[in-house]
Amino acid sequence: MNEQLIEQITKMVVEKLQTTNVRSDVREKDRTEMPVQLYQQSATGNFREEKVINTTPGNVKFFNTVSQEAKPSHIKSHPNESIESDKKKEEELAKLRKKTPARIAVGRAGSRPKTNTWLQFRYDHAAAVDAVYGEVPKEILDGLNFFQVQSKVVDKEEYIRRPDLGRRLSDDSVRTVKEKCKHAPTVQIVASNGLSAKAIEENLEDVYLSLEQSLNNLNIDMGTTFYIDKGRVALMDEIGEILQPDVVIILIGERPGLVSAESLSAYICYKPRFGTIEADRMVVSNIHKGGIPPVEAGAYLGTLIQKILKHEASGVSLVKKEG
Amino acid sequence: MIFLRGERVRKQETMISAGIDIGTSTTKLIISRFSLMNVAGTTHVPRIEIVDKEILYKSPIFRTPLIDFTTIDVAGIEKIVRAQYAEAGIDASQIETGAVIITGETATKHNASEMLHYLSNEAGDFLVATAGPDLEGIIAAKGSGAFDLSNRTRKVIANIDIGGGTANIAVYKDQKLLGTCTMHIGGRLIEFNDQRVASIAPSIGRLIAEQSIPLEIGDSIHTPSIRRVTDFMAESLGRILKNDVRREDEVLIIGHQPNWQEEIDTIMFSGGISECMYNHESASHLAQYDDIGTQLASSLQQASLLQAFSWAEPVETVRATVLGAGTQTTEISGATIQVAPHELPLKNIPVYNYDFQEDLARGLANFEAAIQTAIEMFDATREGQNFALYLSNLPYMGFRDIQQLARTIMQVMSQRPKPGEPIILVLQTDHAKVLGQTLLAMNVQQSVICIDQISVDHGDYMDIGKILDAGVVPVVVKTLTFHSS
Repeated sequence: MNEQLIEQITKMVVEKLQTTNVRSDVREKDRTEMPVQLYQQSATGNFREEKVINTTPGNVKFFNTVSQEAKPSHIKSHPNESIESDKKKEEELAKLRKKTPARIAVGRAGSRPKTNTWLQFRYDHAAAVDAVYGEVPKEILDGLNFFQVQSKVVDKEEYIRRPDLGRRLSDDSVRTVKEKCKHAPTVQIVASNGLSAKAIEENLEDVYLSLEQSLNNLNIDMGTTFYIDKGRVALMDEIGEILQPDVVIILIGERPGLVSAESLSAYICYKPRFGTIEADRMVVSNIHKGGIPPVEAGAYLGTLIQKILKHEASGVSLVKKEG
Repeated sequence: MIFLRGERVRKQETMISAGIDIGTSTTKLIISRFSLMNVAGTTHVPRIEIVDKEILYKSPIFRTPLIDFTTIDVAGIEKIVRAQYAEAGIDASQIETGAVIITGETATKHNASEMLHYLSNEAGDFLVATAGPDLEGIIAAKGSGAFDLSNRTRKVIANIDIGGGTANIAVYKDQKLLGTCTMHIGGRLIEFNDQRVASIAPSIGRLIAEQSIPLEIGDSIHTPSIRRVTDFMAESLGRILKNDVRREDEVLIIGHQPNWQEEIDTIMFSGGISECMYNHESASHLAQYDDIGTQLASSLQQASLLQAFSWAEPVETVRATVLGAGTQTTEISGATIQVAPHELPLKNIPVYNYDFQEDLARGLANFEAAIQTAIEMFDATREGQNFALYLSNLPYMGFRDIQQLARTIMQVMSQRPKPGEPIILVLQTDHAKVLGQTLLAMNVQQSVICIDQISVDHGDYMDIGKILDAGVVPVVVKTLTFHSS
């Protein structure tokens, strides 16, 4: 199938989802405002027990196994008070729902989630998968004037299976970086899709421009920023070796979840080189629309880098030096 | 991406806060210590909060020194404050935040405003002057425990703080303020001397005239008219709590009518009159107030209208307001902000709320007109009174949107009568640092104070303290209106 068609269908499904959501909201409202009888006060229908006509002779006995469910006494009538208390319960649940993006108190139909919930779940899951397998649109990188290089990884499957290859630049890329980048800048910024191309697509521009401005304000010298396709965090070590910057900051897509598939992280390290231990890296995570706003994150990262440069340390070493 | 360590800062910073309550009858003071800590996860942008409040010192209850019926004895009050600081082992320069509040009838004295600002300057580095009947009620409800109780029980709770001169009602549900009301109900409205009525406050004078209660100066302390007055006060309070205001109650209402819609479930009394009910302090000082306080307390306890509510005992009685002023007025700004340290502290800045209604383009188009309105409002005489601009309901913004916003702010704020005054911005959303930095990047001529995560509204006044080591500023939001009797 071609991609456009998939996109079109997805869009249709989502739109449909949203409109049904609205409609069910309206219905919900009506329900709470008017004491509509949701259930019949008394049972209707034919609940008479059927007599089994013994046609076969012998000792075979027939038991009616469904008679329990058919009893009308099991259907509870809903007087007005219980609608009132349902309303209170609903208020309380709404309050709890507001506190977390997790799928709590979404209701159920029998033992299954409701259709809306289930479709939303499938949609979020698909978005997460898309984020991993998606590509960053070229316009975004061109708009920021980033050139692109590759890690040693060939394709996405290998990227997932071989993290070690994602931590090294391909031979061609090493040459390109040496050629095009300013040597030994104070701060070297790089970006990589990592596990979410969507994170880069949505947030890179805002984080980067805000960070660039922040560093300019603080008179901190920046190197030549570039983009690495299918990179991993520890790739900053090799960049440290090649370009010899004081600080490397890598803006990389986080592993997508079901709440957000477009969360970006900024990993920072003071003088990363081969053999740098993980404790010396630090991270500002959760940068996206629903987390820390990308523009504010960029502004904060500038002052964080200033602190790292002042103490000449990052990660746990920085905490120790700060006392 | 899992094996990573972040910045792990769990350092605590402390600050000393003072609360001073100068009421109709009594003056008291409280010193407490706040602990601030970064409560955000290690991989997140820091979030600094007050995590602990420890009371270091509670002063005894002093009589409010007055020179005469309309003048506060400023020197007398300063003497009390200084002596109590010495007793607590604290120097005025150590006080980093807190509030001095002038309450009840004292706020109507002719030198109240002058005294308040003098004291806030003298008694601490960043001690905020507050007054106003609504604020009294709000602060008392926080000190009495009614505010917290509203969260635990999810009931509608009214805190009624009754001191010497006024009853301040604040109604809360789920820690949300539903409304306030202030009444002429208090212990000192009728005073005795030698078993005789020595003075009757003007508000009570009107009440007894309307109700034809025979009472005049010189009457015996035992005249049944006294009880009629206190009983009327209790019943009137009951009607007002039920939002059933009758014409005869209006004489007791100060300012606006009750403005909550919800039915009140529980009432809580704080203030000096509540002390007469619950005796939290030593009983010894009760008799020394030669006024209708104890009788009023007994009327309130017996009024059938009030019995209809459930009653909750306060955590603090007479000290509720001072506790609220000392421990509940300070807020902490967001951790990512941009401030010019040399401009702080800033005091008594009026707030103008500009609502973007989630639409940046339209919001910016009307921005200039709104700022002109703000200037008209706060600086009609064009003397250069500065104001804080609260930007609310901004849509989701990218970097270019921030630049556009900054450009407009720069341009419009330069049209103020005194364009050199610092630009003070308060943001509802977490955008203060980037907006501040963008203004700096555009070579803004003025100093910039740009903070966020503080909730303010139109007509509020705010004080912004010095920047703390954690990179945050303490903020006190208040309403500074002096009511006249």
